[in-house]
Amino acid sequence: MRRATASAVLEGIFSGSLSPEEHVMEIYDNIKKWEPKVKGFITLLDEEAVLRRAKEVESLLKDGKRPPLAGLVVAVKDNISTKFAPTTAGSRMLSGYVPPFNATTVERLLAAGAIIIGKTNMDEFAMGSTTELSAFWPTHNPWDLERVPGGSSGGSAAVLAYGGADLALGSDTGGSVRLPAAYTATVGLKPTYGLVSRYGLIPYANSLEQISPMARSVKDVAMLLDVVSGHDPFDATTLNAGPTRTSSVAPEDPSKLSICVPHEMIDGSDPPVRSTILKLLDRLEAEGVKVSYDASLPSAPDALPVYYTIALAEAASNLARYDGKLYPFVVLRPNYTETVTSTRSEGFGREVKRRILLGVMALSEGYRDEFYVAAAKGRRIIRDEVLGMTKKCIIAGAVSPAPPPRLGERISDPLKLYALDVYTVIANLAGVPSLAVPAGFYDGLPLGVQFMASPLEEGKLMALGQLVEDVTGLRGVMA
Amino acid sequence: MIGLEVHVQMTETGTKLFCDCRSNYRGMEPNTNVCPVCLGLPGALPVPRRRPLVFATALSMLMVCETPPAMIFTRKHYFYPDLPKDYQITQYQGGGGAPVCLGGRARYYDPDTDEWREVRIRRINVEEDPGRTEYEGSITSSEAAYVDYNRSGVPLVEVVTEPELRSPRDARRFVEYLLLMMEYIGATNPRLEGAFRVDANISVRGGERVEVKNIGSTVDLERAIKYELFRQEKLISQGGAVERETRGWDPARRLTKPQRSKETEEEYLYFPEPDIPPISMKELVIEAAPLTLRDPAKYMDVITARGIPRRQAWSIVLYRPALSLYLKSLDKGADPLLAARMIAVDLKGLLKKLNADLYGASSWPSPDVIAGLTRLVRSGDYSYDEIKYNSLPKLALNPSASLSDVLPPRSNNIEDAVEVVIARERKAVSDFINGKPEALDYLVGSVLKMRRGYAVDPKLVRKVLLSRLTGAQDGHSNGGDGADSTANSRS
Repeated sequence: MRRATASAVLEGIFSGSLSPEEHVMEIYDNIKKWEPKVKGFITLLDEEAVLRRAKEVESLLKDGKRPPLAGLVVAVKDNISTKFAPTTAGSRMLSGYVPPFNATTVERLLAAGAIIIGKTNMDEFAMGSTTELSAFWPTHNPWDLERVPGGSSGGSAAVLAYGGADLALGSDTGGSVRLPAAYTATVGLKPTYGLVSRYGLIPYANSLEQISPMARSVKDVAMLLDVVSGHDPFDATTLNAGPTRTSSVAPEDPSKLSICVPHEMIDGSDPPVRSTILKLLDRLEAEGVKVSYDASLPSAPDALPVYYTIALAEAASNLARYDGKLYPFVVLRPNYTETVTSTRSEGFGREVKRRILLGVMALSEGYRDEFYVAAAKGRRIIRDEVLGMTKKCIIAGAVSPAPPPRLGERISDPLKLYALDVYTVIANLAGVPSLAVPAGFYDGLPLGVQFMASPLEEGKLMALGQLVEDVTGLRGVMA
Repeated sequence: MIGLEVHVQMTETGTKLFCDCRSNYRGMEPNTNVCPVCLGLPGALPVPRRRPLVFATALSMLMVCETPPAMIFTRKHYFYPDLPKDYQITQYQGGGGAPVCLGGRARYYDPDTDEWREVRIRRINVEEDPGRTEYEGSITSSEAAYVDYNRSGVPLVEVVTEPELRSPRDARRFVEYLLLMMEYIGATNPRLEGAFRVDANISVRGGERVEVKNIGSTVDLERAIKYELFRQEKLISQGGAVERETRGWDPARRLTKPQRSKETEEEYLYFPEPDIPPISMKELVIEAAPLTLRDPAKYMDVITARGIPRRQAWSIVLYRPALSLYLKSLDKGADPLLAARMIAVDLKGLLKKLNADLYGASSWPSPDVIAGLTRLVRSGDYSYDEIKYNSLPKLALNPSASLSDVLPPRSNNIEDAVEVVIARERKAVSDFINGKPEALDYLVGSVLKMRRGYAVDPKLVRKVLLSRLTGAQDGHSNGGDGADSTANSRS
């Protein structure tokens, strides 16, 4: 049996009609059926250990405890550190690496009674938008196995889409949670920068990324966010704020919601994407939501180059440490320099090496002003434009310019691959929250819509997201 | 021209710069003072600790620095085995970074010339120390390199001067004074092994700048610069050219050796550390303000204002416990000049001879004793020399002794000495009896000499002698009961 939403599972568990152990067995049925075709997990935890954990949660319930995620099965992206399972970030370079500590988000999941079932596939070090660039294997989209699930958190999204977990953690550096959500008819939220601790997240681009909740409904995403959010003394970039309470926000009166659609956020997308979103917005307007098309983010066209310059500079720096001295993967050579060179040549994939080289160039003496410093300036301009607009309205736009591509369709040309992120990177540059929810289907393929609000307005996004679900009826859909 | 880059560990902060491992790793087994943060494991994040930042701010304030609105950490990249992340978190001016000090000037005392000098400071930055690489035997013969990360992440300040130090000795004096400031604000114990390292940039007229790296003591600093100036001047006088290069100091052979030439300019890929938000200086300046009161120069002023010569004041300030003893003894009413002389000259000399730890508070006596001794000298009860030769040696050996333990005993049987002297100095006695009063002075002196080691009051001796001699003339033999009672009346 497949259960549509985590909220429904939680109801069953709290009412006693479903035990965590029974639920885990249901999930395993789904995994056995789908996983060989989808390949969403890099590591599935030992089944006995997972069942033991389910019994542990059960005894908590028997003691009268009601942890907020009791018995819910969570899939965790493989760039989020777990001391009970290898954490590879989808790279050969980290094969065999088991961190000696848990990410703060993982600690909070465990304290909330969640059952972690496995670590999900991803583009190597989160560098990609299709999950084809995993060092291990590509993940397939459960809605169409010929197509990609999006990336880089494609494993988490695909697993959710077939019912291999109730909730999932991904990470979103430039759309890595929202793009897969849009491609798999699931929901993903990139939180306000600093709302969720990055402690334990294997870094790609520190100033842009957030560990991000994913699920099959807005309410479920809110539940997960409420558990993992809030200040963390182990992450100096977390905001001085407690955990959110977005799962208990009352439904908003539609007439109090105001949406702007800057043309830059939808121009250039494929006709089916465009028409699906416009149709949805019309229906929201009919519900009483104010929708304005008279809006512009004039610097949006610069977002992609600005984003890639900053992201790759930070990435080049973050990936320097993988030199064969502290991690299991090493290619030993007669001396230090050759060992470092060989380890990095063989441990990193092609795209990762490309991004390191570009990042090094962006930071090099003589190029830094032209690239990194200019990008930092561009980022401030984009951020100010976005913040100016979100003060007045929720920004709506496409998540991806195209429906999910076929495997192999985009990765041959890096520029085509990077272009998939054109609408999503804006929220990361601005640090604002962004929610991707299903907007509809075209030709059997899921399409998503994206909403951005001011920092810490996650609650507002959840309210709008639930309204969208009401309108589309796409809540808790599975392939 | 000489410019310095001085790296001083903040050994006394308790924690490392970005985690709670210990700032003083000495005596620990290799790789036992480590955690995910200072090992640079992916996902572990640096969270700046407050104390090192406050200390660095205090130093910047003492060096009259211009400070930025907020300090911004920077990543500096280079591949090295003991650098776990292959980048160091430091502070860099430019590229979006902001060091704690953007320029200032440091005053330092030169005891050789008894002058205050000044050098402009180009920058001060806070950074993390790397780990340590060790070899079996030498770097070339060792089978392997062993990396110990216990030191990784220990907080450092790097102080960069303008190239305007005048001589090897001048450079040494500056560093000595810098270390004293770090010790005074409570940041550093400069006597710990490896607590500081100096890189010196040295150039002579007509030559390029040469950097000499890794100088580990102030004595070596003076030697290294002296050697390097000599080498460069000789090279130029022989018609050669001094190329821009980096050399290393070999303390055993006392010479500098080429390390690498600078034809390949380093590429450090600086950019602001995204894991650490800018840290406002405003609160740091407020927090650091009380520390700046512990400025050695201020204490020098306090002491010299009492009429004490500067060199003597320096001798006191050089050792924190001596300063504390001095100031406390003034509070207890000590005479400032006498106390300075006791502490800075005589007691210090004795302690040095005993190889006592001058930096240890327990090597020094209590302020009550010093105050008491100066009072007794001041009132004329004892001469300074009596205290110097009798009391101070006892105090040096036993610093916890009380005043009464160390005061030279008053002789209560001057009569014995008087008898001996009268029996021995027959000529002087007869001279006196025969009407030469000055002979009495000689006799008094002889008695005093005999009683060396005790405090003896010359007036009392004179009185006893007089009564004894006049009594002898009268044919009386006097036991001296009267003298006894007088001798005891002085305590």
